[in-house]
Amino acid sequence: MPHLDAAYRFARWLARSPDDADDLVQEAILRAFRGFDALRGSDMKAWLLTIVRNCHFTALKQEQRRGLVPLPEEHDAQDGHALIASTPDPESESIQRDEQHTLESLISGLPDVHREVLILREIEDMDYRDIAAVTNVPLGTVMSRLARARSALKKQWLRHNDGVPRAVP
Amino acid sequence: MQCPESLRVQAYFDDEVDSVTAAGIEQHMEHCAECRALLQDLEQLRAAMQQELPYLRAPAALRARLSRALDQERAAESSLGLRWPRWRWPVQSFWVGSFSGGFATAAVAILAFVIWAPRFANPLADDLVGAHLRSLMPDHLIDVVSTDKHTVKPWFAGHTDVSPVVADFEPQGYRLIGGRADYLDHQRAAVVVYQHGPHVINVFSWADSQRALPANATRNGYHLIFWKSGDLEYCAVSDTAPDELLGLVHLLQGLSTPDARDSKN
Repeated sequence: MPHLDAAYRFARWLARSPDDADDLVQEAILRAFRGFDALRGSDMKAWLLTIVRNCHFTALKQEQRRGLVPLPEEHDAQDGHALIASTPDPESESIQRDEQHTLESLISGLPDVHREVLILREIEDMDYRDIAAVTNVPLGTVMSRLARARSALKKQWLRHNDGVPRAVP
Repeated sequence: MQCPESLRVQAYFDDEVDSVTAAGIEQHMEHCAECRALLQDLEQLRAAMQQELPYLRAPAALRARLSRALDQERAAESSLGLRWPRWRWPVQSFWVGSFSGGFATAAVAILAFVIWAPRFANPLADDLVGAHLRSLMPDHLIDVVSTDKHTVKPWFAGHTDVSPVVADFEPQGYRLIGGRADYLDHQRAAVVVYQHGPHVINVFSWADSQRALPANATRNGYHLIFWKSGDLEYCAVSDTAPDELLGLVHLLQGLSTPDARDSKN
């Protein structure tokens, strides 16, 4: 199944829960299969991720229409981190897991439009024009969003790594 | 304040610049400590994201669920006797092949790709999309900034091998913003740049090669429309909607026939 893993990873960053991500991927794969969205360009991965993203927004809109306003997401990972960070864990494995959670929660905390370009670039290794196609914005916007996402994440990451908040110019 | 070159340094880091631009950026970084630090940050952040984030794969349960859903889909389709329009067929059979693993459907999928492949293999279209993307890099879009065709057109005479139609269509929504020289298909091409809403449209033109023009195409969301007029070949490239792009092409085609009138203005 080509690019299913990429679709799933992207869905996990978009959806609020793993279950929602599963539903989202299924919806997207069925749409792709039915051929509702003609394959544009030659890149199948960009095409599939575009469909995943469109399905996500369609689902969001439907929820809003039904009046299901989602509760703000609880960041378990972040809470866990706060506990562990005050008493450093000797086991390197769990430190690494902790760092994963920290970086993960920092990325989760980025604005949606910044997070998605960052994920597509760094995790999915897509080039600017494919990212522009998936997120449906001009190339220049991809570049500026990517720059903002990286700069924001770097500042927050520095603060977490040093353990103490630090003034960043 | 942030160095104005920072976006270009980022593009360099992301491997989005050609070798000439890359050399320029490397030279800049020799003098700019801020950009050197930026490059280092970008490298560290990438390493952290790639090492420390879990690399997720679709769970087996989800794969099984998808297979079932697609089986149902195919069953429903055949019981209703649905036929897919021809243009959808290659994509659909690719998916059928990849899911069922059946030899016949896989063979059909491969065949579909063999049939489709030549439509994607079009070096001129690739060059044009590449040139369009380069033009969107900071400071690459325009060599002569003007909304006046009487400024843009003579500029081409000194900088390119061709003299294309230049006109402003601001009332119709296509604002002339300038011109640029580009190297394309072994010759200097003239590029007229228009703005349409938030989109940039590059209209490339070069001397008629006496070959058949490539078919209009869409690459990664960028549309290409080719036409010939007089002794020039044109291609309009943009990420705006195809019919919007076609609107500009029709306006330009309408102008190029009575080119004599243009010189009287």
